[in-house]
Amino acid sequence: MFTAILSACGGNEGNKAGDNTEPTSPSANDNTEKATVKIIGFNKEEVRKTYLELLRQQFPNYDIQYQFVDNKQFTNVVTTYLASGEGPDIIEGADARWIAAGYLEDLTSQPFVSKYYETGLKSSTINGKVYAIPLQSWFEGIWYNKDIFTQHNLTPPKSFDEWMDLHDKLRAVGVKPQAMGAKSWEPMDKQAMGVALNDFYSKPENKDFDEKFGKGEVTLSEAWLPAFTKWDETIAKKNLTPDMLGVEYDQALDEFATGKAAMWESGPWAYDTMIQKNPDLKLGMFPIPGTAEGSGWLVGGPGSAWALNKNAKNKDAALKVLDFTSTPEAQAALIKDSFGTSFLKGADNSELPEQYSDSKSAFDEGNVYAPWANWGMLSGADLILELGKQLQDHLAGGTSIEEVLKNTDKKAQEIRDSMK
Amino acid sequence: MNTTKWNFRRNVVFQLFVLPALIGYLIFYIYPLIQTAIYSFTNYSMYHPNMKWIGIDNYIRLFKDDTVIIGIKNTVIYALLMTLLQNALAIPLAIALNRPLKSRNGLRLVFFAPAVLSPLVVGFLWSYLMSSSDYGLINQGLRAIGLNNVNWLGNPKLALYSILLTQVWQWTGYAMIIYLANLQGISKDYYEAASIDGAKAWTVFSKITLPLLLPSISFNTVMAMIGGLKVFDVIFSMTGGGPGHSTETIVMTLINKGITESQFGYGSAFAVVFSFMIMIVAFVQLKVLNKWEAKLF
Repeated sequence: MFTAILSACGGNEGNKAGDNTEPTSPSANDNTEKATVKIIGFNKEEVRKTYLELLRQQFPNYDIQYQFVDNKQFTNVVTTYLASGEGPDIIEGADARWIAAGYLEDLTSQPFVSKYYETGLKSSTINGKVYAIPLQSWFEGIWYNKDIFTQHNLTPPKSFDEWMDLHDKLRAVGVKPQAMGAKSWEPMDKQAMGVALNDFYSKPENKDFDEKFGKGEVTLSEAWLPAFTKWDETIAKKNLTPDMLGVEYDQALDEFATGKAAMWESGPWAYDTMIQKNPDLKLGMFPIPGTAEGSGWLVGGPGSAWALNKNAKNKDAALKVLDFTSTPEAQAALIKDSFGTSFLKGADNSELPEQYSDSKSAFDEGNVYAPWANWGMLSGADLILELGKQLQDHLAGGTSIEEVLKNTDKKAQEIRDSMK
Repeated sequence: MNTTKWNFRRNVVFQLFVLPALIGYLIFYIYPLIQTAIYSFTNYSMYHPNMKWIGIDNYIRLFKDDTVIIGIKNTVIYALLMTLLQNALAIPLAIALNRPLKSRNGLRLVFFAPAVLSPLVVGFLWSYLMSSSDYGLINQGLRAIGLNNVNWLGNPKLALYSILLTQVWQWTGYAMIIYLANLQGISKDYYEAASIDGAKAWTVFSKITLPLLLPSISFNTVMAMIGGLKVFDVIFSMTGGGPGHSTETIVMTLINKGITESQFGYGSAFAVVFSFMIMIVAFVQLKVLNKWEAKLF
């Protein structure tokens, strides 16, 4: 389960295979009419800029259209499209419910699917059928301002307690330790899960927990409670405060990028925006630490993927785009705008950029994982959204951490029941 | 041709003009309404495209669902306060701006302007003004005068009322314009007579202005109440229903259940209940206001 994303993608085998993965898709030059290929994604267009430009060059006779929909409403928008038998040709993500409802094309027999490592295909494989091809991996850790850290002789933490001490030290010298846009459900979900990755998922006996949870054989409240209780110290110590519930993601980004806070949690997709806002910013990213001292964990995995709408208007053209996406050239273009690693056999994964050097040992040990991607039919947005809402309520002082997990279990059961 | 025949023919021709609108109404309003009512008795969802009749199970489940209860409670509080505040502010504002002030046209424009903005835009704008980050302009102002930050949108006990304030800001000017139009239609003779009789300001207001404003009070309160019950866009843009479930309203819960969670049958049951709720509230409100009008005249 914890196969390292990097190890899956790097190595000599990949390079050898690279000879066979030259762009195989014919360009669309032979087409006389300009076919429209619509792609819908929850990553902003600038995150796909180089890749989209490459697609437009490769397929001059296709009108490649990219539609960005904010993550908050992405599932709603796509579900509505699909339920009405409409929608774009290529869709970012392969929600288990769309698969169950038969809205996504089974790609298993497509030749380009075999070009990917199984680790990349796993989260979009249901009952042995592959419904999406993975794009570059994603990961999320704690960005930190290197100048602030250097100025106060601070180093990235190796354990959760060290991390908490770091907050105290920063506060003592008058620096706001952490910015957080807790108006979004994501950051608290990921920080708390990050501790669970260190303390729970790293144990071999828990390696199949997520599959069992998806089926309703185990509960979060039993399994995650110790890790979440540990994480809860950050609220008790007022590192995360209720006023953060009134802050947006972009506002937290601004706060961190302009040096008003020393740390902020996000991923590589935020890097360019932060540098644009403050070109002098020196950034590093460290993984979320656990109770025991160690390399820490990043939340992430092969989350983003291209799926094909079963009712795609231009299925052939979309398949050619997916085929071309499965080439080292297209993968390199994807990585250029948002750093991650490719799951394509033979893709020349670039060196870890300097800003992620503090996360190197976490990558080397394969400590990159997102639990919900393996919850089977519960892997859609509903449940992690509910967990986020429960954590918001907890930060506001409404519920205990035990109730947070129990209420999330209750919601999980409600979703399972609605599928029966 | 005799007159009766001609009248009948003319009526038929006139009624034919209504036909396109009637067809549209049947297709886009009545048909979906019937379809929704049918779905509400089924388990129709993304996982059950071949729906099964489950009787009133969806309706029973609805009243046991905590999030539905929260949604109904928030909506009722929001709609009631919205109706009261908006109208309580709009009436004195309209009276003030009905006076021969030099700046009255400019002021009317200023107060009415927010009403032409999209609630989504207003929501995004105010969520930045009310932010509890360093960039929140309102909190910057509070700090400048020595007060503490207020967690406008991040405090579950306050967030709904913060949203309400923005909506009162947006729609008071709209209600004011309707009251102004009504005020300008009131004959000056009443006020002259009252002045000759030596009536005090409050007497003039309660005995002349208020009763004659009743038609627009009815219109504004019914519109504000229905708008309040249907609120979605501004809450979506300001808090997304959070923190937690604290600012979720009926329409938001309806969208969560029916679309996000793809429980079409269950969502339909909620939609049916909600439609009845709006009908009952509007009916009762109109009855009460009509009675009040009759009593005052």
